[in-house]
Amino acid sequence: MEYPIWQLTTLAGGFWIAFIAVVHVYVAHFAVGGGLFLVLTEHKAVREDSPAILAYLQKHTLFFLLLSMVFGGLTGVGIWFSIALISPQATSMLIHTFVFGWATEWVCFLGEIIALLVYFYAFARMARRDHMIVGWLYFIFAWLSLFFITGIIDFMLAPGKWLETGNFWDGFFNPVFWPSVTLRTFLAFTFAGLFGFVTAIRIPDATARLSMVRSCSLWTALPFVFVLAAGWWYVHSFPPYAYEMVMFKIQKLGFFVPSFLVLGAVIMLGGLFMAFKMPAAVTKPTAYVLLVIGLCYMGCFEFSREAARKPYIINGYMYSNSILPSQTAAINARGVLRTAKWVTNKAVTKENEVDAGREIFQLECASCHSIGGPLNDILPKTLKFSVFGMDSELNGQGKLVRYMPPFVGTVNERWALARYIVDDLHSGNTHLEDGPAQTPQNLPAVVPKKENDDYVLLAWNNLGMHCISDSDPFWILLPPANDLIAQLIKRGDGPEIITSGVEITYAVESGFENPAGQVTFWDHAQSLFELEKPLPVNVGVSGNKVMGIMKPTPGGEAFEASLVPVVPYPDDGSFNPYPLFTVTAKDSATGKVLATTRCVAPTSTEMGCKNCHGGTWRVAGVAGFTGETSADVLAVHDRINKTTLLADARAGKPWLCQSCHRDPVLGAKGKEGVISFPAAIHGWHANYLTGRDENVCYRCHPAKNTGSTGCLRGVHTGVGLTCIKCHGTLEDHALSLLKYEKNRGIVSAEKLMQGLDSRVVASKEAINPRDAWVNEPDCLNCHVAFEKPVARDVSGFNTWTAGVAELFRVRTDDMGVRCEACHGSTHANYPATNIYGKNRDNIPPLQYQGNSLPIGSNRHCGVCHTQPMSDEGHHPNMTGMFRNARLISKEEMK
Amino acid sequence: MDPTQLIPATDPISVPWMWFEGLDLVTFVAHLLFMNVMFGGSIIALLSLRAQKRGGVSPVPEELSARLPTLLALTVNLGVAPLLFIQVLYGHFLYTSTILMAVFWLSVILLVILAYYLLYIYDFKYRALEGRRGLILGLSVALLFCVSFIFSNAMTMMIVPATWTAYFGNAQGTLLNLSDPTLIPRYLHFVLAALAVGGLFIAFLGYGKIRNGNDGEALLTSGLRWFTHATLAQFVIGTWFLLSLKRDVLLAFMGNNVMETAVFLGSLAVSLVALYAGFTRRVVLAVGATVATVFLMAVMRAMLRMEYLAPYFHPSNLELHPQYGPLWLFGIVLGVGLVLVVYMLKLYLRANKGA
Repeated sequence: MEYPIWQLTTLAGGFWIAFIAVVHVYVAHFAVGGGLFLVLTEHKAVREDSPAILAYLQKHTLFFLLLSMVFGGLTGVGIWFSIALISPQATSMLIHTFVFGWATEWVCFLGEIIALLVYFYAFARMARRDHMIVGWLYFIFAWLSLFFITGIIDFMLAPGKWLETGNFWDGFFNPVFWPSVTLRTFLAFTFAGLFGFVTAIRIPDATARLSMVRSCSLWTALPFVFVLAAGWWYVHSFPPYAYEMVMFKIQKLGFFVPSFLVLGAVIMLGGLFMAFKMPAAVTKPTAYVLLVIGLCYMGCFEFSREAARKPYIINGYMYSNSILPSQTAAINARGVLRTAKWVTNKAVTKENEVDAGREIFQLECASCHSIGGPLNDILPKTLKFSVFGMDSELNGQGKLVRYMPPFVGTVNERWALARYIVDDLHSGNTHLEDGPAQTPQNLPAVVPKKENDDYVLLAWNNLGMHCISDSDPFWILLPPANDLIAQLIKRGDGPEIITSGVEITYAVESGFENPAGQVTFWDHAQSLFELEKPLPVNVGVSGNKVMGIMKPTPGGEAFEASLVPVVPYPDDGSFNPYPLFTVTAKDSATGKVLATTRCVAPTSTEMGCKNCHGGTWRVAGVAGFTGETSADVLAVHDRINKTTLLADARAGKPWLCQSCHRDPVLGAKGKEGVISFPAAIHGWHANYLTGRDENVCYRCHPAKNTGSTGCLRGVHTGVGLTCIKCHGTLEDHALSLLKYEKNRGIVSAEKLMQGLDSRVVASKEAINPRDAWVNEPDCLNCHVAFEKPVARDVSGFNTWTAGVAELFRVRTDDMGVRCEACHGSTHANYPATNIYGKNRDNIPPLQYQGNSLPIGSNRHCGVCHTQPMSDEGHHPNMTGMFRNARLISKEEMK
Repeated sequence: MDPTQLIPATDPISVPWMWFEGLDLVTFVAHLLFMNVMFGGSIIALLSLRAQKRGGVSPVPEELSARLPTLLALTVNLGVAPLLFIQVLYGHFLYTSTILMAVFWLSVILLVILAYYLLYIYDFKYRALEGRRGLILGLSVALLFCVSFIFSNAMTMMIVPATWTAYFGNAQGTLLNLSDPTLIPRYLHFVLAALAVGGLFIAFLGYGKIRNGNDGEALLTSGLRWFTHATLAQFVIGTWFLLSLKRDVLLAFMGNNVMETAVFLGSLAVSLVALYAGFTRRVVLAVGATVATVFLMAVMRAMLRMEYLAPYFHPSNLELHPQYGPLWLFGIVLGVGLVLVVYMLKLYLRANKGA
């Protein structure tokens, strides 16, 4: 925020630091271990009275001097230069905090140089004893350099008590200090051996050569055991989160940490291998290969160490992009552009959006991400995002997956950054475009004629807003299924609900009879539901087809066909989420048709996973899952939860989400200790979608009437209410579900709750826990005593039905008539307005009372009653008039 | 855009600012002396090689060959300390100017490594190189010219925040401070100083040889000639540099500020003493007066920096969070380190005598 940014693209992302640091650190460790190697080899030469070894040592000293003093010394300054260019704020902080630590290290550097120059230039002239003293002094100075630098470097990983005290010594002798010094010392000895090979293999004298190569073998192999022990100590001294990152979390470390161990073992074995007497044709290339492996070994160590402190550059104090966690609240309020000193756009406007985004990218992203370069390239990582998806990713960044810092700045700035990445860097990610989209057709809703005046057949579906995921080859969260329910009423003075002696059949409209021709569910159903044998084609998971006979409900008051395997794809290749079912009641004995009606069974695949997971719509440009979207969902799940779902799917074993995640809607018990599916999916995604309105619900649910389904179509939508009125905002909704999971001891629920705040109620604490599909907002929360809500701003949120029996979709009135029989299904309460033809959901009321109002409203008691009624028999306020006349025609009000 | 708005915030310091100013000054003088000897010596060696080609005889190229890499090693090492201390006081200015010229600044590392290895080639392969000595040394000198020019740019750009707005037209790290009127005279001033001190070093080598009863006359004469001529030229270039300064800064050294004027006059006086000593072949006096001149010039340089930054910043503005323990650590390690350095040099000299 304080400094200008050296605007790199390809070579951004800390490339220069990494490049210079890895080679420097390799040579710098050699400069330490190699120092001891020099003086101990001199002892060896004297002990063995070997002029050949002494002559070798003199040559090796020159090699050592040219490599360590010139290249090592300058690249060390190079690291300093590069960090000051790329992270000046962090550098300034380190310089100011540890200036006398650095200065002390400089004294050691000076002592090293003098000692090494004297050691080299006086090699042949100096008395052996004096020479060895100088050699020892070199090693001591070099090791002290390591000592002092380690204190500062590992401070960045584990500042320890410094975070509270700000005291030099607390920072220097940090929790990682001693194990780190030990580990690095042994690494240094290993490298002395590796570099020793390079010169030792050139000794002309065969005996001396073998002796020195074997000595180097020992240098290389022996420290490995100590490196392992010190490495264990080192990692176990990490702060808890860093330890977790290294051991379990970071996928990237999944490569570097094991590679470090494997390469260490390779070096040890290679070092031992060199001890065999072999021709130069073998030893020479082996020595060079080992030297390169050593560089990779060091590289793995450095990358692991740096990654372990993510998202910080100074753990717990300063993020990788030099923003202090303590500043974030202020920057979020003020805006990052207004806070940063070196930007031209001080605020986001429509005109400068992309350019402002570019500046924000430089401020917040470029210190770790290159654009098309070798380090942390931003391009492949963001290829799957639309602007919305990118913005959401930034919204959730650093909350649940903590190896990146959170985005700081205003919502507009976040959007500007998302636009820059998607619209500028990716030129709009055109591969995500869906192609021409089908527009909803105005389909006819043919109202069946009444068979007679004796019977009233009311039919409805039980999932008024219903998604299925046709991501069958990868995973599914719901199978093709909707429930059809019907009640048959015999008209009369005292109307009677008929529960026996009749057969109620249902049949889907033409074009929808063969769902298996549209989705691959039946190819995978056996795997998804872990069935003993394949599910017969076109048969749903409860045994029903898209046509058949309804069975009595458990309570006996109605008939139902559960989990009817209907899909939103008619044979003509279009998308129609409202297939109509014809329901017919016949006398069981005579087969005479008593009544016929029609209702929809909504089923939509307009589930917006692709908004953030990549891919396009599969069908008609408006709905359905492509493999790309489906696979990415699993890839992300695997990355975060260390599962193997994608590999399983590719191996022909897709899973039902509820195989592990409990879910009342399917009666799935899930796995012990695993969070429920509704809590997981809302809780996770809510962290990426905070501060939004109801439009964010539509990103996943097929609710919006400008989308291809428009499932939110009932009377409440008609009067302008949104999801939030009953369910709260996404955060509130998620918190209520998470709280329930937390209460039943699910640890992950608490983690998901941390980044969320309540919005429609005063605090997180005030939110009442609820189990999905069981504890739902009760209609009577707003319609107290079935009356008009007392005010427009009443909220249905936070008072839940006590159990399944209280749910609108299963409840009956005082006379045993289901609520939905008269009011229509959830989210489609009469009078509903369907974008596929206004009255597609209103067929039963139109059939029986000539309007789209709830059955019996406006005193249409005569639908069932053959005598005029004055009592409010079904529920209070039964005889009141329909209030929202503007939703229907004048004709209908009559 | 108001450059004041661009100046980064500072971090607190642990001991009063004068400590850092003092440490910066002392270590910078040491760095300057070694840098001048190495850089100036390299240029003189290169020019002497050219003279040899034209038939002249000079011991300078070979005499210096073995010393230049070591001098560069020490120049680099002694440069680290003042660069550290200056960052404590002026890091927010220096980081900014170096980021604006990041490509050049980072290239310093590569350029110095190359120059360094070329000097080693020049040393170890001196005899084998024969006709190509000039090429190798010339390349090294060319690289050093680039390095010093980059440093001059960084150090001038850091004290003139008004120039920083150029960043908004070029954020790729390829800016230089070419429009600054002080840049060229300042750069030439430093190069000439290097030639003078390099020459004096050569003269001192000759003086040492003569004292040891060897033939050092050619070195002495040639070295002093370089020293005196470069110092004389410095009066011209130095004046140019002085006149290129911002007017109020110039006036501060011309009487407006007593302290600064005194230092300026003092440095002029000791440089005249050095020049006199050079002309009269009093090498030790010349060395003494030159070290004093370099010291006073370094003080002036620090004052000049303060004058330029006066509208924006003074090190006394820095917040102080006192903690003296680390200073003690540094002091003790420095003391012990210097004793050991002296001890090792003694061992070295004893070995040389023995040989």
